Amino acid sequence: MTAAIRDAYADFVRTFGNVLFAVSLFVVWGILTLIGVVVDQGQDPSAYMQAYAAPVARAILRLDFDNIYHSPWSVGIIGLLLLSLAVCTFKRVIPARLPPLRPVNVEKIPLHATFDVAMPAADARRRLEQFFASRGWRVRERVFGGTEWSFADRHDWARRGVLVAHAGFVIIAAGTTLYWARGFSGELAILRGETAQVAQTRALIRLDDFAYRIAPIMTKSGMVYQPVDYVSRVTVTGNDGMPKAMTVRVNHPINIDGTLYYQASYGFGMRFVVMRNGKRDAALSNRTYVEGESLDLPGTQRSVLYDRFAPTVDKQSGMPTADPRVNDPAVVLAVSQAGAALGEALVPLRTWIDVGDGWRVVPERYVLYSGFQYRNDPGVPLVGIGAFVLLAGLVISFYLLPARIYLRVDEDGPNRSRIGAAATTVKGYDVFQGEFSRLMVSLEGSWRPTKP
Amino acid sequence: MAPDEALIAVALGAYTLGALALLVYFFSRVTWLRDVGIPLAIIGCVAQFVQLAVRFELTGVWPLLNLYGSLSLFSAMSVAIYIGFAFRYRLWFAGGFVLTLAAIFLAYGVTWYEGTMPPVPSLQSYWAKIHVPIVVSSYAAFLVAFVFSCIYLLKYYAAPARPGTPIAAWLAALPTLPQLDMIVYRAVAIGLPLISIGIITGAMWAKEAWGAYWQWDPKETAALFSWIIYLAYMHLHTRHAWRGLRTNWVSVIGFVSIIFCYLGVNIWISGLHSYKV
Ligand code: HEM
Repeated sequence: MTAAIRDAYADFVRTFGNVLFAVSLFVVWGILTLIGVVVDQGQDPSAYMQAYAAPVARAILRLDFDNIYHSPWSVGIIGLLLLSLAVCTFKRVIPARLPPLRPVNVEKIPLHATFDVAMPAADARRRLEQFFASRGWRVRERVFGGTEWSFADRHDWARRGVLVAHAGFVIIAAGTTLYWARGFSGELAILRGETAQVAQTRALIRLDDFAYRIAPIMTKSGMVYQPVDYVSRVTVTGNDGMPKAMTVRVNHPINIDGTLYYQASYGFGMRFVVMRNGKRDAALSNRTYVEGESLDLPGTQRSVLYDRFAPTVDKQSGMPTADPRVNDPAVVLAVSQAGAALGEALVPLRTWIDVGDGWRVVPERYVLYSGFQYRNDPGVPLVGIGAFVLLAGLVISFYLLPARIYLRVDEDGPNRSRIGAAATTVKGYDVFQGEFSRLMVSLEGSWRPTKP
Repeated sequence: MAPDEALIAVALGAYTLGALALLVYFFSRVTWLRDVGIPLAIIGCVAQFVQLAVRFELTGVWPLLNLYGSLSLFSAMSVAIYIGFAFRYRLWFAGGFVLTLAAIFLAYGVTWYEGTMPPVPSLQSYWAKIHVPIVVSSYAAFLVAFVFSCIYLLKYYAAPARPGTPIAAWLAALPTLPQLDMIVYRAVAIGLPLISIGIITGAMWAKEAWGAYWQWDPKETAALFSWIIYLAYMHLHTRHAWRGLRTNWVSVIGFVSIIFCYLGVNIWISGLHSYKV
């Protein structure tokens, strides 16, 4: 290795092994997530142009802030975090949390105590060790340069809590990567009575029925229509080729060959009777349109957009109401000529609207459709395990305080010894101050009766 | 007045009087005020938990599914966690601030009271009973951390500025800066695992309700943002040089982010979690 490479490697380790660098990465990660909270994600570019001043909107689009969680920024920052985590683990966490047993300068450690006892060193040491062992501390002895040291450790195993928390984070990252690499998801809108096939799994789903329940509730601020239930009854055919009847509701997804299907939305498909000069156009009339779909009138540049369904129209004002239950339904149709809007109309069901050139459109009847989301995520078990490990690590790190007491006993005369004790913990000295003095008081006290 | 409304009134009254007593105690150190404030805090807190139970009993609807109920639990849990800390570490001097915040959040929650409504389908889940209390409790722990961080910062900035004055003597009677810092650390050490469990149970619920455990919905993302801030807090706290002044500023920023996540996102940004839907 040349000196330059060695220097560069040392710089890399110094930077990535620094907790402040990791925290800086947290800050950047935090800012990215915050941008994602404030800027609507996954909208059409025109939506940003409308919502923001042009330079801001252009910046949002150019910097991928419209899809920030899948942007190179987010992926990059997670990559850097993981790298920093790896370097920190070996260069900082392990040396700091799992220090080897070695002698210390007792007086230099802020938590220390020394006192004399009337006892030969070997007996004093045995007694010291018994004192800590009987309180659940793990006691070990080592000899360094001819001096015997004892080390009393409490919650020694819990020193690994940080490592456990960090491992949890890595496992979660691995689980989410697995979804990116191998998972898939999508949406389906199925009309009542129709069957759809899922592109990725070839599973067949037939919507036998869809029902929703809405409760009108009088509140202080007026009538609120609270949805209470959405239920889709479906017949599904998975890999085994056997059709099965199942029910999908919100919070109760179904599982077909490892892919989960959720109740996501519903809407009103519409059958139109389309007539030209009094004659029914079979091609346009024999299908169901969903909200947002257009009928293009043949031989013209005109199209009629089925914009949305209005379940209840107020009889007096003729305007749609907030009531989502179907009482006196109408549809909002928007007519355009070669892409230019001509006008919009609210058309009650089974009435007609003239759209020019002898064309007439009658919204004939509605067909409910149910919207499903599906998702196949092979990373779920890993993410679950990671979450559990992460939590265990947090609890171990926060609620257990591993502490080590360094003990040396020096012969100080024929029947006298001097005891030196110093304590360190993984969270500094302040947290252990009170406990250390209490320990030392009872340690010293345990000798008192034998004192001359 | 229905029993649950009466209990809310009792809680609000107890917090307001208790806050007054403990605030005056904070400045005057007259001990009988503390002895009045403590029972008031306890009465308010108990009234709140009884109110939530009574409401559930009367309506049969889990009472935490709107901002009214969740803010009510937030203020109750803040006071409860604070009372626990105060008993354990003798911190009654800070009670006035905690009770003031609790009273404000409770009063604000009452403005969202709309009567009883059945929950929308996505909230009809046993996860609602697990996830909401955990998340709200984590916010409450962060509120307690926030109050002690503010006291830390007050002492840090004000004590050296006026040496020898009665203010300095008065500040000197508060716990030492390292002690205050440790209290904040302990409160965050309750809040961080709780918000982690909250995010995880939220993800499990989302998996059941919407199909994916993580959707980058503004609410979950804002919670992740707060989580990152407190994670930064914990990491900075491992550094001697950062422990104290800077970490306490991070705790203050963390609580601002919690309030943004809790109220800002619900009220200003509509998403899957918005109570307006
Ligand atoms: C991603 C980059 C990360 C890096 C580089 C990093 C690094 C570190 C370092 C160096 C320490 C201090 C060890 C010591 O001084 O003994 C630490 C502590 C800790 N880390 Fe991380 N960490 C990262 C992410 C995380 C994550 C995602 C978590 C998740 C919860 C986490 C949880 C903890 C905990 C709980 C502690 C102990 C804090 C305490 O005892 O007060 N870390 N980390």
